[in-house]
Amino acid sequence: MTATATRPAPPRAPRSKRRGASRQKREMWLLMLPAMVPVLLFSVGPLLYGIGLAFTDARNTRVHETSFVGLENFTRMLSDEQFWASFQIGAIWSVSVTVLQFLAALGLALLLNMNLRFRSVARVLAVVPWAMPPVVIGLMWKLVYHPDAGILNGLLGTDVNWLADFSLALPAIIVVGVWTGMPQTTVVLLAGLQNVPKELYEAGEVDGAGRWRRFWNITLPQLRPVIVAITSLDFVWNFNQFGLVYVLTQGGPGGRTRLPMLFAYEEAFRYRAAGYASMLGLAMAIVVLAVLGLYLWRQMREAK
Amino acid sequence: MRRVPLYAALLAYVVFLAFPLLWLLSTALKTPQEMALTSPTWIPREPTPANFTDAFGEQDLVGAALRSLVVALASSLLTVVISLPAAYSMARYRSLVNRIAIGWVLVSQVFPFILIIIPLFLIMRDLELVNTLPGLVAVHVTFTLPFALWMLQGYVRAVPRELEEAASVDGASRLRAIASVVAPLLAPGVVATLLFAFISSWNEFMFALVFLQDPDVMTLPLTLVRFTGPEGVARLGPLAAASLMATIPSLIFFAIIQRRLKSGLMAGAVKG
Amino acid sequence: MRIKSALAAAAIVTLAAACGGGGGGEPAAPGEPVKLDFLSLAWQKESVAANKELVNEWNKAHPDIQVTYVQGSWDNVNDQLVTQFAGGTAPDVIHNDSPALAGFASDGYLLDLSAKLPAELKSDIPQSAWDTVTFTGGEGEQGVYGVPFLQESQVIIANKKLLDESGVRVPTPEEPWTWDEFSEAAKKMTKDGQYGVAWAMKSPVNKTLNLALNFGGTFFQTTDGNTTVKVGPEEREVLQRIHDQLYKDKSADPAALGQGTADPLPAFFQGKFAMLPTGVYLRQQVVEQAPDDFEWVTLPAPKGTSAQQGAVSQTLSIAQESEHPDEAMQFISFFLNAANQAKLAKGDWLLPASQKAAADPAMTTQENGWDVATASAKNLVVAPFLKVNGYDEWRSKVATPVLQEYFADKITLDEVAKRLVEEGNQVLERYHR
Repeated sequence: MTATATRPAPPRAPRSKRRGASRQKREMWLLMLPAMVPVLLFSVGPLLYGIGLAFTDARNTRVHETSFVGLENFTRMLSDEQFWASFQIGAIWSVSVTVLQFLAALGLALLLNMNLRFRSVARVLAVVPWAMPPVVIGLMWKLVYHPDAGILNGLLGTDVNWLADFSLALPAIIVVGVWTGMPQTTVVLLAGLQNVPKELYEAGEVDGAGRWRRFWNITLPQLRPVIVAITSLDFVWNFNQFGLVYVLTQGGPGGRTRLPMLFAYEEAFRYRAAGYASMLGLAMAIVVLAVLGLYLWRQMREAK
Repeated sequence: MRRVPLYAALLAYVVFLAFPLLWLLSTALKTPQEMALTSPTWIPREPTPANFTDAFGEQDLVGAALRSLVVALASSLLTVVISLPAAYSMARYRSLVNRIAIGWVLVSQVFPFILIIIPLFLIMRDLELVNTLPGLVAVHVTFTLPFALWMLQGYVRAVPRELEEAASVDGASRLRAIASVVAPLLAPGVVATLLFAFISSWNEFMFALVFLQDPDVMTLPLTLVRFTGPEGVARLGPLAAASLMATIPSLIFFAIIQRRLKSGLMAGAVKG
Repeated sequence: MRIKSALAAAAIVTLAAACGGGGGGEPAAPGEPVKLDFLSLAWQKESVAANKELVNEWNKAHPDIQVTYVQGSWDNVNDQLVTQFAGGTAPDVIHNDSPALAGFASDGYLLDLSAKLPAELKSDIPQSAWDTVTFTGGEGEQGVYGVPFLQESQVIIANKKLLDESGVRVPTPEEPWTWDEFSEAAKKMTKDGQYGVAWAMKSPVNKTLNLALNFGGTFFQTTDGNTTVKVGPEEREVLQRIHDQLYKDKSADPAALGQGTADPLPAFFQGKFAMLPTGVYLRQQVVEQAPDDFEWVTLPAPKGTSAQQGAVSQTLSIAQESEHPDEAMQFISFFLNAANQAKLAKGDWLLPASQKAAADPAMTTQENGWDVATASAKNLVVAPFLKVNGYDEWRSKVATPVLQEYFADKITLDEVAKRLVEEGNQVLERYHR
């Protein structure tokens, strides 16, 4: 991507500068307003409320008087070893799923962007995991991994109890995670590839650049904003994911697949500890935001 | 011949990603006995329509699918209409508001829905939006907006500003410059966003579960879980039959809309 | 662009306007029928049909109290109810099970039914079943928070051919196997490539704890109102015996360990193992999925010092905030009369709580093991853990991972006891404050 995109608005003649600035501001507000209404009402509101809960002893029950407890939830969290153990699992899970998902999706998007036959069919079939209702996805993968009647053991000729094995359960669900999220990433990257101006490639061909060089020097830099956007979002989504694990392993065996979000979910909905669960959510959000901030900042610096 | 490895790779991807479709189809046509074989068969030995008749006989799948379709179309269109201008503004202007907006987009995704769902429920209840489809649309729009904004502003940024300026300099008004130059280039991004919003609304379960209570507003994902019991026991046959019906519309929608992804390529050739 | 955003703004306004109305729960105007929402979790074909039929029957007979049949699902009902209770919009009549009831009762979301129960319903259901729904409510009072109507007990489903071949004595409800006989039988049925038994232990805790009562293992003790975890010799018996089958006798199929209740069935039909200890309702899956030439029998669960098992009931409750609790109770007493309980039990392949219903010929026939299943009801006692505040958290944070590690042979029984008690008491302590 060229530097222009991150540069402030292009310089205008000094005379009209102030008028331009105020017009720009009005325009900007108008453009933003429709998006701001639902977000403020249905998203910011509940979120502030949720953050507030983190500093109370709120419980999801009818008979409890909520009171402010300051940092009590925070200190409890710091000494909650089980939470930090699950946090570690969450970190391994979200980083590996995001990276694998991105690499696999980039490969597929490049293939789908080439002038291959059947690519329209392939494009449609590639979104199957996305189009499938989540309720069947878990059930289906359970059958794939089934130790006796599963497709996978049949295919590999192995006799492995995938989801109950203490060291294989996490990799097994990582594969499911990659599978589930690949279509979104692929479609987004494909749309990005379509956006790369053709002239750039034409110029590249004139220069005699090979396929690999063209990919490295033209495609990747052009795709950069899209890549940064989708990998950040994937990372966040993966970190927040727990539905799959809930169906496939329920956090087992021995807590080896207990993702932190599953942990927080159980605090809030099983044990009704809304205040503590909010604190866990808040802490996870801050860590994830810090990681993302670092990532985005580095990407931005490299882009310049 | 040079392309053989490419085709092989494409085939591998398609098999990996799409085999469940075949599995759904095969399961939907199997008898319960055949499903419980230790060596699974891909082609049912005695294909039976019983799962379809059960699924459609017990649940109002068609009605639920129609409601889901309305909700998904409304949410996806509304999402794009609302987010496109905002995304343009976020990508093109630098101001505090826009920076906050970009930050917000991420923050809203980072916070898990389990912390938001109860306060959100209370707000919806006070607005009398609980148990209504417009209420569900409003929630779906709110929660696909951040993604839509984030992606669309990425696509807007990828459109070289010079193209837009060149058009303006040519004497066209800014609005027209945007409409004639930026919009076509954005088409693939818009399509991707539309698709995303449609499918996430079509499949969305959790909000629908807590917000919809009457049988005559239930959407498709809610109807599907009716075939599952406690501890992961499920009536796989009817579930597969119903899921097939839930999967196909998304695929058709994608098949129609993906042509637009291609036309974006042509638009890319347009010179400022 | 301005036009577009104006359009968008207009769309929002229209949307907001269109959203007015709806919502439910307004009190019925005079002359209008009372409306009740009934959240049902029935999911099997016959039981859904039975539920729908009963609701229709009621609605025809009672034009002034109209019931809307709303289907939910077991997997998500907890999330749905926690949210809807918090918003005050939960259904009036709620189908659930006794472990979940304990939580909602102490949350104050459920109505204490003790004063509302009609005498006939009350006397038809035995005290042991009422015990499974009697909890300490939100204000610290004892109350009855649901009507138990279906009960689950543990049985052994066995491959008849392999059972006969082994030549072991076939147990009867009057004379069940002892655990020693059971282990012996499992060993006899084990030969190359074939196991005697399979334990599906994806969620090991409830199953193990219910069976532990065989040897009087309660896992919890209460002194001075303070509940703590205990793992003594009684509690260790069943744990040790299952572990022995897996690793000493090698008569239990290790592949089943990570599986959910119904997952081992394909291997069972194929004869990979001979016996499957499981809940009575799994018979339905067996009937539906077994190959035509597969013969199977239902055997009573083994007994230790007693044949007692912990009981889990399915229940109907009334929401505290229901506007028509009396009408809701009327509906429940119709819905759960003896004849209807027999229908529902048959549809879900569970045991009716009603004593009259249990005498129904459909519940005592030898076909599909109904006689053995129904006979097991007499061994049901309320599981002690049901009354423990914080049990849910203990189960999922402490007991589930610990038992999974134990059954995977990663830790010793002593370590199990130590962790269940130490980590468990830490959890329980929070609930005492």
